[in-house]
Amino acid sequence: MYGGDEVSAIVIDLGSHTCKAGYAGEDAPKAVFPSVVGCIDQMDADDDKENNDSETNNNNADSNKPKGKRKLYVGSQALGFRRDHMEVVSPLKDGVVVDWDIVDNIWDHAFKDCLLIDPKEHPMLLAEPSSNTQLQREKTAELMFEKYKVPALFLAKNAVLTSFASGRATSVVIDSGGGSTMVAPVHDGYVLQKAVSSSPIGGEFLTYCLMKSLESKGIVIKPRYSFKRKEIQPGVFQTVDVDLPHTTESYKLYSQRVIASDIKECVCRAPDTPYDESSYSNIPMTPYELPDGQTIEIGADRFKIPDILFNPSLAQTIPGVDNFAEISSARGLPQMVIESINRCDVDIRKELFGSILLAGGTASMQQLKERLEKDLLELLMV
Amino acid sequence: MDAKDILGLPKTPLSITQEKKSRPQKDSQRKPDGISREVYALTGGVAPLMPSIDVSQLKRRPPSDEKITWQWLPFTSSARKDNLQLYHWARDYSFAKYNKSVDVIRYTDEEYEKHLTDPKWTKEETDQLFDLCERFDLRFIIIADRFPTPRTVEELKDRYYSVSRTILVARAPSPGEVAGHPLVKEPYNVTQEIERKRALSMVLSQTKHQERKDAEVLAEAKRIAESRMAARAAEEPDLPIASDIGPESAERAVGPGDTISPSNVQVPAPAAAPSTSLRVYLRTYALEQMVQAASSSAGLRTIKRVEQTLQDLEVNLKPKVPTKAVCAEHLELRKEILTLLNLQKQLQYKEAEGSSFRDGSYGDMPGSAKRSQRAADQDRTFVLDTISFGVIPGDRGVKREQKRKGPGRASETSSSPAGAHKRPRKMKASDL
Repeated sequence: MYGGDEVSAIVIDLGSHTCKAGYAGEDAPKAVFPSVVGCIDQMDADDDKENNDSETNNNNADSNKPKGKRKLYVGSQALGFRRDHMEVVSPLKDGVVVDWDIVDNIWDHAFKDCLLIDPKEHPMLLAEPSSNTQLQREKTAELMFEKYKVPALFLAKNAVLTSFASGRATSVVIDSGGGSTMVAPVHDGYVLQKAVSSSPIGGEFLTYCLMKSLESKGIVIKPRYSFKRKEIQPGVFQTVDVDLPHTTESYKLYSQRVIASDIKECVCRAPDTPYDESSYSNIPMTPYELPDGQTIEIGADRFKIPDILFNPSLAQTIPGVDNFAEISSARGLPQMVIESINRCDVDIRKELFGSILLAGGTASMQQLKERLEKDLLELLMV
Repeated sequence: MDAKDILGLPKTPLSITQEKKSRPQKDSQRKPDGISREVYALTGGVAPLMPSIDVSQLKRRPPSDEKITWQWLPFTSSARKDNLQLYHWARDYSFAKYNKSVDVIRYTDEEYEKHLTDPKWTKEETDQLFDLCERFDLRFIIIADRFPTPRTVEELKDRYYSVSRTILVARAPSPGEVAGHPLVKEPYNVTQEIERKRALSMVLSQTKHQERKDAEVLAEAKRIAESRMAARAAEEPDLPIASDIGPESAERAVGPGDTISPSNVQVPAPAAAPSTSLRVYLRTYALEQMVQAASSSAGLRTIKRVEQTLQDLEVNLKPKVPTKAVCAEHLELRKEILTLLNLQKQLQYKEAEGSSFRDGSYGDMPGSAKRSQRAADQDRTFVLDTISFGVIPGDRGVKREQKRKGPGRASETSSSPAGAHKRPRKMKASDL
């Protein structure tokens, strides 16, 4: 039941993994697409053409050539199509926008191609991270008002929106998304900034760990564009590798991540007890069929990967994972929650403990809620 | 000619049902009440089999509870080529009623110089505090979160409330006028708040071990309190020991649910056990119990005679002011009346015996001997009882005491066939 005014506002949430946009009052966003874009620097494309045409190298002329306009490809359909020299670029770095041009393109794609609206006619509600800086907010407002000429704009914090969506004015919101996990207490509809704790471990990091783990076991994930499947007989397929030399590394990585992400979503679940190598060495394996027809077996990784949320040091045991300094200093999810609540005023702690909300893509992992509940009770009932 | 004709009943049995059938048909042919005739005609005239709109609801609408305000606002039409601005009535924003805010007192610079300077607070900080207070409607937890310099919630509250109070008092024409204002009446107590929060934080962060210890200590304390009560209750019955006072000691320690039967007075033990349950009881109820206990042996007729005597003496059957002293006196009076009546009865028997003895009925000798003996005993027990009312006995444990209920009761016990055996015992009692 929508109690709001029928001013037909538009809601946009630009996250680190996906961008969600839709009409205010509806149950779900109409437009959900990746928040990374494909980018072809015209300069590289031209360079290549020249190299193919002539033998001479124009090394010196590189620096003199003006930076050509780059073409951006936004949206799941555009990204899904492999193009030569197309790099996959994200506008965000550590949760902060660094490339406003890409953000502009993303919004444009959402308004024009997905929602089919004219931004001049619709007030905008933008969801921003709980620890957004003043500079970011100013830039957002500037872009919205000057380029899109929106009639009205409101910037709301993610945690507050989540809290209100569940009918509470006071709660602790655990937003476990693609790029990071943020624990933010909300009191009376306002985020308590000083009590927000964040960790760089999010869905993307878990996907990365899974990929490295599979690689270390010798499983090669072939990106979708790199093979063709021919039906030689009814029901029988033959895979033929296609060589596309001008495909960028970033695009290859991106395509592999898409597949690994799917494996993670299908197969992984949070273990009931903290993971340790010995107890999970003999569990039955789950099969998963890769797009190229290869079937792989996943055993201990099913539980190991999600447990990284609770025990970040597990990531270091996976061969190939870069030992980021931040990962080793990151805390597990239950510790973050307790730390965050303990930084709040004593009077509201009881209420906060009584309303803990889970939000974000990674929070929908199977058994995560139960495991978190159990861990919190254990930690508190000392 | 028909019986029906004579009676005036309709000829055919069908006609009644026909009437009934035609009526509902006619009803549906008429237009429904909710809408006008023309509109109804638009829909096709006859109501459809499945009405799409509940016609009875069309005109009626439940009255809205909230006050709906209308505003005379300008508007322009996109259909017009000119910029004509007309006015019309537009409904007020339905959520406007929720837009409430707190009245934060704002001071002027002079007022600050005069009253509000504080060594721990700069003017800038105080200004920032008041801005935030207004912005966040006095939600101090959030204000503390957004305050530029680190300050605790208690410090901020303290500053805000003391400043507001000072300004209020300074601006008021006389101190009496603002005395009723909540800010002035109940000042904010910083130390108490800090202490309270510290204690709360301690309680919240108690480990399970500590919780268990706390629970144990509380249980122990409760047990000690109970045993103390029991000890106090046990002391009281030392004063009057006799069995008929047994119920009275119960009165001091026990709740109403306790009916100590007269035959059993281990005074301390049963009195102590229920003493923990209730401290509050009705003396009238206890009194009733005691009256019952005292007269349970007497029999209905005797009780009636006791009450008759009370009325003759112009004493209320239930004392008007049931204090401890009054109830005690009342009970005593009842007992004395009982004794009196019993004695009168015994006297009558004796006289009857005496007369029958004189008449020479030998058959009655053994019985009469017994009876005379009993009568003698009665005298003795009566004397004993009157003594025991005021005496502080040393030895409570003597079993024979338990038989000392009241003269009435004593007579009952002595009338048993084993009366001969009882005699020696009673002799011993009389040696007291």
